[in-house]
Amino acid sequence: MDTIIYVSLAFLLGFCIMAVMSRSILKSAIYLAAASAALGGVMFLLGAKWASVFEVSVCSGLVTVIFISSISLSNMKIEDVHKLYDDKKRMAYLPYVLLFGGFAMIAFVLTKDINLTVVAQSTMEDFQNIFWNTRSADILGQITAILIGVIAVVVLLREEAK
Amino acid sequence: MTTETVMLIIGFLMILTGSYCLIRSYHMLKIIIGIEIAMKAGTMFLIFAGYMNGHMGLAQAYVITAIVLEVVVAVVLAGVTIGLYHKYGNMDIRNLTQLKG
Repeated sequence: MDTIIYVSLAFLLGFCIMAVMSRSILKSAIYLAAASAALGGVMFLLGAKWASVFEVSVCSGLVTVIFISSISLSNMKIEDVHKLYDDKKRMAYLPYVLLFGGFAMIAFVLTKDINLTVVAQSTMEDFQNIFWNTRSADILGQITAILIGVIAVVVLLREEAK
Repeated sequence: MTTETVMLIIGFLMILTGSYCLIRSYHMLKIIIGIEIAMKAGTMFLIFAGYMNGHMGLAQAYVITAIVLEVVVAVVLAGVTIGLYHKYGNMDIRNLTQLKG
């Protein structure tokens, strides 16, 4: 199982990097969907089956549809899109700083020998019981957030009165 | 190196990737993609914590809340992006500084 987790994690990081580095927004959205699918695979392998279903259906499906709808509602010229990507002079040192930070962090984790052993076997907790009873306040928050999102989109996309 | 260590490193690298996208790009949709990538790393850390402690049910409840919030953030920012495009004809975030009122 470890091998499948390693492969899924490699796909996850690879698709994230390709989503950031791609020059086409459409391709970036598709790479992001693929990264969500890889993350869903990792979650499933770790035993989070409900979360993996949500990740694949909502993040890989709905968010991609939102991105592609946004892209299709605009028709920017490709030259204009390329201008927005990066200013070569602005923060030219940033990739090196991030690479150095990444390597330093990996070296820190490897040399410090952080104890990351699993402290408890995953108990078969009743997810439905926790979600509907223990964390019922979260559901109220989720419904409120969804309503706010719907109202925000309706307000932002309404046609101006002529 | 254990699987847990690899997951920790991949999560930090994803946050760095999202941060790079946020800092470097001027394109609004690209910035939303950077936010999504960083949030995915947070989601992975929540599942990782549940796996380590054995409370996977609780971790899944938190992750589902995080996914809902992730979608709401994406929807609202996509709406702002389309509004920006209708007003200025492009998706350059530097135009947001011209807003008043």
